[in-house]
Amino acid sequence: MRALAVYWMRFLVLTLLALIAGTVFIGSLIPSHTGNGRGHLESAEAFGSVYAAPTQVKVVDLIPSSLSGETNQDSEPFLAIQTANPQVMVASAFTPNPVSSSGNAPVYVSQDGGDSWVLNAITPVQRMTCDITHALAPGENHPRGDLHAGTLACAASITLNESETTDVSSGTAMSVQSSRNNVDQPFVRALAISNSDHIYVGLNDFNQTNGHTATVDVSLDGGATYKSFSVEARTTMGQDGPSVRPAVAGDNTVYAAFFGWRKFDGKIATSDVVVVRDDAGGIGPHAFQALKDQSDKLPGRLVVKRVSIPWSNSPTLGQERIGSTLSIAVDPNNSSIVYVGWADRGSKKDIYTLHVRRSADRGATWSKSDLPHTTISNATNIALAVANNGVAALLYQQLMNGRWVTHVVQSHNAFVNVQDTILASVPANEPAQQFLPYLGDYDYLLSVGNEFRGVFCANNTPDRANFPSGVTYQRAADFNAKTLTDGSGNPVAISIDPFYFSVPVIP
Amino acid sequence: MNISPIFFGGILWALLPAPAVAGRLQATSNQAALIKQSSIVFTGTVSQLGATSFADVPKSAQTIVVRVDSVLKKPPAVSLRKGDKVTVEMKDPSALQEGTQATFYTEGWLFGSGVAVKELGHEVLPSGGSAPVEAGSAEKTFLQADQQISDQELQNRIASADYVVVARVMDVRRWVVPKSAGAPSHITEHQPDWHEAILEIHSVLKGTKPKKNKMVLRFPGCQDVAWVHFPKFAKNQQGVFFLKKDQVSGAPTTYPGTSQADVYTCSKPGDWLPMSDEARVRSLLKK
Repeated sequence: MRALAVYWMRFLVLTLLALIAGTVFIGSLIPSHTGNGRGHLESAEAFGSVYAAPTQVKVVDLIPSSLSGETNQDSEPFLAIQTANPQVMVASAFTPNPVSSSGNAPVYVSQDGGDSWVLNAITPVQRMTCDITHALAPGENHPRGDLHAGTLACAASITLNESETTDVSSGTAMSVQSSRNNVDQPFVRALAISNSDHIYVGLNDFNQTNGHTATVDVSLDGGATYKSFSVEARTTMGQDGPSVRPAVAGDNTVYAAFFGWRKFDGKIATSDVVVVRDDAGGIGPHAFQALKDQSDKLPGRLVVKRVSIPWSNSPTLGQERIGSTLSIAVDPNNSSIVYVGWADRGSKKDIYTLHVRRSADRGATWSKSDLPHTTISNATNIALAVANNGVAALLYQQLMNGRWVTHVVQSHNAFVNVQDTILASVPANEPAQQFLPYLGDYDYLLSVGNEFRGVFCANNTPDRANFPSGVTYQRAADFNAKTLTDGSGNPVAISIDPFYFSVPVIP
Repeated sequence: MNISPIFFGGILWALLPAPAVAGRLQATSNQAALIKQSSIVFTGTVSQLGATSFADVPKSAQTIVVRVDSVLKKPPAVSLRKGDKVTVEMKDPSALQEGTQATFYTEGWLFGSGVAVKELGHEVLPSGGSAPVEAGSAEKTFLQADQQISDQELQNRIASADYVVVARVMDVRRWVVPKSAGAPSHITEHQPDWHEAILEIHSVLKGTKPKKNKMVLRFPGCQDVAWVHFPKFAKNQQGVFFLKKDQVSGAPTTYPGTSQADVYTCSKPGDWLPMSDEARVRSLLKK
C-alpha cells in the first residue's frame, strides 16, 4: 500500500513538472502581449524566478490605445484622486486636444484605480494648457468627481482660469469660476471641511504690490469665490520664484512653501526657502501668518537662507530646464509634522541638487541639515507625500549615466532607513525635446490608503529593461521589437508619455 | 489628416444633384463647412441604439454604437480601423435604426480603449452602402472640395493680415522690452525671449510699400511650451509672410534705423508659407 502511494506521488510530481515545462515552452513560443510590458513579469512572478518577490507596484502609460499614433511631448504630469472613491482619478500633462486645434485641452480620467485611462477634453483652455494642476474635492460628495483645476492659457497674454466640473466623465467643459492675467504656475490643493470644499491655489501673482508675488488663492465655498493672500512678507528682488506650493491637513492646517527671491542676476536666484502656515484654513484677516521667523519676527519661517538656485530656461540638466522645483507635505494625521524639499546649486560637480528637511513642531524649527539619503545630485521634479501611517515618500527624477531615473523613496523614520523603488530608467538623450519643459517643471505624489500614487513623464520606448518594477501600456506597443505602433502595425516614433504609478506604503 | 480614397466617393456622392442622392445631410447644407468642421469622418453600420462601445462612455438615449466600415478622415494620432466599434452621440438618435449604413461627420469626444465621437452631421447611405461614383471623378471632386476649404482658410488669413509680403529674413537679433514701454518684465519659465527678424521685402501682396523695403517681424525665441506654436525664423529664410501689427510683445514699434516703425508678428502656424505657395496666394488675392 505504501509502495503504491509512493508510486502515485512520483507520478503526480512528474506530471506536474511536465506540465510546467510544457507551459514554459509554449509560453516562450507565444509572442509577448502587445501593449503590455507586464507579460514577462507576470510569468516571472508565477514561477518566482526573475523578481525576488511578487510586487504590487503598478506603472501604467497613460496614453490610451485609441491614440496609439500620437507622438506628442506629453510632459509635466499631475494627478488628482477622489479620496471617497479612489478608483476615480484625473491626470494631466501637456497633451494637446488630439483632433482639433480649436477644441478644449484634455485631461486623463480613470475610473478603475488607474488600470485604464480615457482622454476627455474638458479644460477651459483651447487646444493645450501651458500649466495645469488640479484636485478632486471631496466635501460636496459628487460621485463622479468634483474636479477643481488651475490652468494657464497662453496666447497674447497668459490667463489663469480656476475652474470646476462635478462630473469628470462628462463631455461638458469645466466652468470657469475665477480668471485673471499676469500670474504663473497655479498649484491646486483641496480640503473638505464640514461638507464644504476648501480650495487652495498657490501661484506667483505679478499683480501683487511691492514684489510680494508669492500668493495663495483661497476659496472656502468650493471655488464660487476666491480671495488672494500674498504670503511674502520680506523684500524681494522684485518678485518671488515661480513655485508656490500649498499643503493641507485634515485638521484645517494649511501650509505653503515658496522661494523668496532676494537677488537675481539672470542665471542665479539667491533665495530663501520659506514656509508659512495657517491654523484655520486660510480664514481671517491675518491668513498664513501663524508662523514667524525668529530672526526678523516676520511671517514665514526661513527653512534655509540665501541659497543659490540656478535658473536656466534652456536645456541644462540633460534636455531639461531647471530653476524652481519645490515640494511640501504634511502628515495627514499629525499636522505638526511637515516636510519640505527643493533644489539648488549644490557642490561644484552638481548641476542641481535636491534637499529635504523636516519639522516636528508645526514648522517652528527645522532639521539643520538635509535628512539622510535626501541630498541628491543632478536631480529634479521633487515631490513629497506622507501616508496615513506617517511614512514619508519622496519622488524625484535623477540624470545618471545618460539616463533619467525615476525614484520613489519611502521611510518611516525621516529617511534614516529607506526603501528605494525605481519606477523607470530611460535614455535621456532621446526623444529630442519639442519644447520645454522636457519632462516637466514638476511631477506629483499623493498618498491614499496604503498606497503612494503619482505621475511622472518619461521616454516611452516599450522596453522592459526601462521599467524595472514592470509597466503596462494601453497604447499599441511591441515589447519584443521595442517599438510603438499605431494600432494597425505601422511604427510610431518614441516620445515623452505620462506614466501613472502606485507603490504600496511600507508598514 | 489621413484621407481615404473611399472618402472621395462619399464626398462626390454627397455633392451630386438630388436625383442621385438617396439621403440628405441632416445637420447642415454647407458641405465644405461640415467637412472642415469634422475631425473624424467614417462610414459605418449602426449596431446598437442607446448603447456605448466601451465602459468609460456615459450611456444615454443619444449614444449609439456604430461598426466602422471605412475610415474617411481622421488625425494620424487616432487609431480607428474597419471593424472597430465607435460610440456616436447623435443629435437625433431616432433618425437611425439598427442596420442603417451612414456616413458620420463627427468631432472627437472620448479616447480610451475605443473612440467616442459627437455627431456633427450624417447622411444615410443607399442600400448596399457604397458610393455610386467612379474613383477618378470622386478624387477630383474631393480635391476640389478640399481645395475650397484650404483656399477659404488662406483667404481668411489674407483678410485678417495687415500685410502680406514676399520677403527674406536679412538678420535676426534679440530684442529686450524697453522699460519705457511699461510692459511687465517678470521672470517666469514662459518668458518669450523676443527676437526681431529684419525682413527684406521683395514684393507687397497686401498693404502699402514699406520704407526702404524693410519690415521688422518680432517673434519669441524661447523653447517654452507657451510659445511652441509661434513660428520661429532664421536668417535667409524666405517665403510669404502674413503679418499683423504686434499686439503681443508690449511695445509695437521699433527703430530699425533712425525713425520709428511699426513692428509685426506672425502668431500662428501658417502665417508663414514657403515660396512654393506664392503663386497660389497671388491668385487668391485676385479673387
